[in-house]
Amino acid sequence: MWRLYARMDFLMLTRSMRLFLTWYLSDTLLNVAAVAAAFLLAERFDGIGPWSKYQVLFLLGYSTLVRGVLETFFSYNVLYISRRIGRGQLDHILIQPQPIWMTLLTEGFLPLSLSGVLMLGLGLTAWAGLNLGLSLSPAWLALFALNLAASCAVVVAFSYLWGSLAFWAPRAAEEISTPLVYMVYSLKAFPLDGLPLPMLGGLLSIVPIGFVAWFPCRALLGLDDSPLGGFITPLAALALGALAIWAFSKGLKQYGRTGSQRYHPLGHRS
Amino acid sequence: MRLIRLRPYWKTAAMEAAGAIGDDPLFLLQYLFRLLRVLVLLSIWQVIFAGRGAVAGMSAASVLTYTLIEEVFADPLTTRTELWVSLRDGSLAVSFLQPMGLVGQFTSKMIGRWFFGSVTFSLPLLMLSPLLGVSPMPASAAALALFVISLVLAITVGVALEFIFGGLMVYFEYSTYAIENLRSAVSVLLSGALIPLQLMPWGMGEVLRWLPFASVASAPLTIYTGTGDPLFLLVMQALWAVILWPVAGWLWRLNRERLVSFGG
Repeated sequence: MWRLYARMDFLMLTRSMRLFLTWYLSDTLLNVAAVAAAFLLAERFDGIGPWSKYQVLFLLGYSTLVRGVLETFFSYNVLYISRRIGRGQLDHILIQPQPIWMTLLTEGFLPLSLSGVLMLGLGLTAWAGLNLGLSLSPAWLALFALNLAASCAVVVAFSYLWGSLAFWAPRAAEEISTPLVYMVYSLKAFPLDGLPLPMLGGLLSIVPIGFVAWFPCRALLGLDDSPLGGFITPLAALALGALAIWAFSKGLKQYGRTGSQRYHPLGHRS
Repeated sequence: MRLIRLRPYWKTAAMEAAGAIGDDPLFLLQYLFRLLRVLVLLSIWQVIFAGRGAVAGMSAASVLTYTLIEEVFADPLTTRTELWVSLRDGSLAVSFLQPMGLVGQFTSKMIGRWFFGSVTFSLPLLMLSPLLGVSPMPASAAALALFVISLVLAITVGVALEFIFGGLMVYFEYSTYAIENLRSAVSVLLSGALIPLQLMPWGMGEVLRWLPFASVASAPLTIYTGTGDPLFLLVMQALWAVILWPVAGWLWRLNRERLVSFGG
């Protein structure tokens, strides 16, 4: 399925080279702007709190990679699931001759359109890694990949957990995933050390922004003394994922009884 | 007579404000998310300024006030209409059927949305600010008065920028999404909404303060916190308003006929 959607992405882009270039460049520019604030602050103040300038750069690279992976695999509002549910577009998924999870994992795959964000993330991470003198062992790279996948899973699970509210309130909750994901994107690139403990606790539980980049980067950069630090984010992803699957399943049952009284084609892959 | 002419715009704003309520109070959750974002940003500034004195003329207290007021007036200081959405989904065609000017319609709707946000978010945030350890007070009474003037000029420049970018969206046809991305990126980075321009490295702020984007966010906030020369800032804002509105009008007139290519 990924190959099929990759081909569709390729065909769409090659219809017009000008269109491809403008989308590609504007997406990359938007993502540069998204991380620029933290970078400029780190440059101006020679780091943020206990994080050095290049550690902040690593954090920016990692968080950009998270966004890049999410946008590459969950485009067309698959990440912003409340839009799909609230707009009555879930039926498009239900009539596919495959399980729902498979459609959700493949339908938003845009490997070419949004690869600029991934490249930017890789570039920033590599630049920071070189300046920090990181020793890249296979174990470290495996831990990096595990944490990256877990960070992405945290964002998806968080969006699906809240987005499931749209099953019960399709109009009011249609856009609930949007401010939530934007909030995650706008805060993911900042080190959270030094924040008041209750707030930090909240950012690692109720609104798990801390797991999107800050906590895994602490472990990967050796800023966390705990030997299990590198496995906390994957465990959090599992717990949040289980919660999101439970909420989404409950919502689907509700949808099975009521269906949707609304339909809006906007944002659906056609 | 003048009041009668204003009635359609007022009604449009009122409808937009009421429409925000929707059919369920669940939409209030988005304001909670926004509040959390503000709390985190304020805490990050406190961490950055811990153990430091004033930097580039800005103390920790003035940066916190700058950030707080930016969030309280976030809607006017970003000045975003629904123009690009209308261009993308084709609903702009309906706007042409209304017995009101296009600029007036989109501005009325924008102000209507602000009204609701100000009641549900801005006012509560202002009232909460002492609990957050942030002073919401302006540098002086004169600073407050000048801030109001500056805010009006900021909105004037912001709406002109909206229609300039809107004109570009029409010109480049299928690149609506790309132009919107460009607009958002430029606004975030160059307006001083997130980071005060004075605190940018390599003297970037010295250059950026001459650009129109600084007139939309940085100018009123700098005046409010008393960290810049009000005369220079107000003159720059007025100058950009005078320059940008004819450009916006010219771009719209130039591209009006091309709108036929948008079908939603």
